[in-house]
Amino acid sequence: MSKIAVLTDSNSGITQAEGTELGIYVVPMPFTIDGNDYFEDINLTQDKFYELLGNDADVMTSQPSPDSLMKIWDKLLNEDGYDEIVYIPMSSGLSGSCSSAYGLSLEDQYEDKVFVVDNQRISVTQRQSCIDALEMANAGMSASQIRDKLVEVKFESSIYIMLDTLYYLKKGGRITPAAAALGTLLRLKPVLTIQGEKLDAFAKARTSNQGKTIMINAIKKDIEERFGGVDAHDVHLEIAYTFDKETAEAFKKEVAEALPGYDIHMDPLSLSVACHIGPGALAVACSRKVHF
Amino acid sequence: MGNNTLNAKMISKMFLAGAKNLDAKKDWINELNVFPVPDGDTGTNMTMTIMSAAKDVSQLDENTDMQTLCKTISTGSLRGARGNSGVILSQLLRGFTKGIKEYDELDTVILAAACEKAVETAYKAVMKPKEGTILTVAKGASEKATELANEGVTDIDKFLDEVIKYADEVLSKTPDMLPVLKEAGVVDSGGQGLVQVLKGAYDGFLGKEIDLSINEESATPVANAPKMKAKTEEADIKFGYCTEFIVLLNKPLNVKQEMDFKGFLESIGDSIVMVADDEICKVHVHSNDPGLAIQRALKYGQLSNMKIDNMRMEHREKLFHETGDGKWLEIKTEINGAAEQTPTYRQGDTVPLMNGSTATAGAKEVEEEMPHKDCGFVTVCAGDGLAEIFRSLGVDYVIEGGQTMNPSTEDILNAVQKVNADTVFVLPNNKNIILAANQAQILVEDMPGDKKIVVIPTKNVPQGVSAVINYIPDASVEENTEAMTDAIGGVKSGEVTYAVRDTVIDGIEIKSGDYMGIGDAGIQSVGASIEEVTFEMIKKIMSDDLELISIYYGADITEDVAAKLKMRVEAEFSSCDVELQYGGQPIYYYIVSAE
Repeated sequence: MSKIAVLTDSNSGITQAEGTELGIYVVPMPFTIDGNDYFEDINLTQDKFYELLGNDADVMTSQPSPDSLMKIWDKLLNEDGYDEIVYIPMSSGLSGSCSSAYGLSLEDQYEDKVFVVDNQRISVTQRQSCIDALEMANAGMSASQIRDKLVEVKFESSIYIMLDTLYYLKKGGRITPAAAALGTLLRLKPVLTIQGEKLDAFAKARTSNQGKTIMINAIKKDIEERFGGVDAHDVHLEIAYTFDKETAEAFKKEVAEALPGYDIHMDPLSLSVACHIGPGALAVACSRKVHF
Repeated sequence: MGNNTLNAKMISKMFLAGAKNLDAKKDWINELNVFPVPDGDTGTNMTMTIMSAAKDVSQLDENTDMQTLCKTISTGSLRGARGNSGVILSQLLRGFTKGIKEYDELDTVILAAACEKAVETAYKAVMKPKEGTILTVAKGASEKATELANEGVTDIDKFLDEVIKYADEVLSKTPDMLPVLKEAGVVDSGGQGLVQVLKGAYDGFLGKEIDLSINEESATPVANAPKMKAKTEEADIKFGYCTEFIVLLNKPLNVKQEMDFKGFLESIGDSIVMVADDEICKVHVHSNDPGLAIQRALKYGQLSNMKIDNMRMEHREKLFHETGDGKWLEIKTEINGAAEQTPTYRQGDTVPLMNGSTATAGAKEVEEEMPHKDCGFVTVCAGDGLAEIFRSLGVDYVIEGGQTMNPSTEDILNAVQKVNADTVFVLPNNKNIILAANQAQILVEDMPGDKKIVVIPTKNVPQGVSAVINYIPDASVEENTEAMTDAIGGVKSGEVTYAVRDTVIDGIEIKSGDYMGIGDAGIQSVGASIEEVTFEMIKKIMSDDLELISIYYGADITEDVAAKLKMRVEAEFSSCDVELQYGGQPIYYYIVSAE
């Protein structure tokens, strides 16, 4: 049985510390804020980030440089004694980092060693994929088998995000035409969804209570109709948020009441997502359990 | 035809006479509205409903058979139906004509049966029939008719006389059935309308002198309102804008041009002064469309010294300074004048520049072929700001109207046809339009094609906004219908307007000219200051669980004044978000929602 490393980027919400604990390696996402370079969870904390964002700093995200990525791969393969790497970067629908990594993985020295997973996950669902990969590796599956399995079930996941404001989404330009149409005269709280590739408009609400109800109903419907039913408990249920943990805790309670009997994992959203949706966002997500 | 039967020719004559009589009494009926709000328009709605049919009937051949006549009355009134009472009237006519269409000669037995059929049809059209209304009056008339027929009364004259006398008697008892009528000291307006139709028809039967020519104005009052209004009240301002300017002539006007220009001005207004020399031409005109005069004048040269005054506003300010004077009739007239300003342009009309935004938006909706989609939206509202808000929320077609001008079933139908979608959700935003929308829904079902109308029964603008916001593009029609219908229950709302007469409602004494805050549960506040009344109303409709107060300010409120109110509301409800929006709606100073 080959020794397999599970590698992801900091969009998974897995911190360096948690990664060490779980046995998952985490590539920090790079940021340029007002001209200065930062790396998530290395020299950029959540608090520091929101402080800068709040001051209307010029935040730019980028993908990990090929050099930094190759250095990590080399280290895992050559120094840490791993035979294969399963790399689960953030969704290819949201960033080019997946395709660059895939290109690198085709180079001779990584061929049949590094397997880049394009399963279009982000944040809490990306995190769950890493845990699934680890379990599959422990069960003796090869890196290519793990990659194939994760890609096979890539659509068995669903995310709903309610934004406090459209400001950051517009500012970043990372917005589909449908979502752009949400910009209206009235103050609205848009509810977006990620189903596979892109962030898209799902619904609108005027108040956060309305938005939360919309999200809970939507996720419940997905579980009921697409993921084997609420009672089957065949999904992982997750909550993510930007900045406001207190509100997120309250939301978690509401979700737990609507969907009793689930363990709900909650994380702050990764900063490269946060910089596009701004503070005050709430998300509920689910991904179907992987059976192997 | 003897004295014991009626033929098609007589029915046609009686129908037209009934319609004409209702038309003559409509202003009086408007005043019977329980709420003393300036949009009491039962008479107008019923008249427009019946006139839509009368127009068609008057064009029928003299020897038209009963079948054709009945079909014309039924279809015409159904298409023209607007407002609650109008829709009920159209249903009465539909049921009645169903009962008589098979016969060439009608005796009292057939008439009595047709009356029964009419009442049955009308009751079915209303979800929760209420007694003490037009329905009760119709039922009374029908019962009396059956009783007379059973007694063997065959003389039509006696039959009609007694039925109408009884209907009048029932009408006079409506205040005993509906406490709101009693409190307001009026009989039911819809019932009164029906009695007036019957009385007119009886006069027609008796051959009393009635002008039976039906003119188009009554059927299409928006476009031609000035003419219609001209005969009613003295204080009426027929043309609302005083427009003056000087044309710096490109070249001297020749005699023909001068005549043409003057003729044009005469066609759009009155009080015309036009003096030209070789270089300039001075123009003064009172019209309802200053833009028309300006646009025409631009043909001859550049304009200078332009001045446009809204004479109705001036008139109105004057009236408001005379509060307590009991001159509600004049205030009302002034408001009816404002309603005329709802921009409605007929084909071939030059759309004036001044209304550019509304006009181009409307034109775009008509002209551009919309891409086909599964679901579309049609809504009804008055005010450019509100219309813009609805459009920004994805509504495909906004019918101008609402408070002062209820669109007819046909207006709604036309709007729906312009929306290139399989299912069109209709948001009436007014309780008086819901029935007309429901009729449109039924008419569409009978039409070829798969188009479907779903009416979300929104009773006011906040409910309409709430409904459309809750629409989810990915969900099914059924899911959306449920979600939107649920959503309208989650928003509280209130509107501020003024009283057009003295009355007592819910034990609150209201004086003509007072401002009133009306919430979902009736009158919330009354007073002499718009801001106080609005503030008090918001306090009454608010509760702790609400997060957002939206204030839409109307055409008669400036942004500064509205902003001041907003600050006051924010200070009072610090845990709540307060949002101020320009609604531009007439008559209602503020529309407020809390959710």
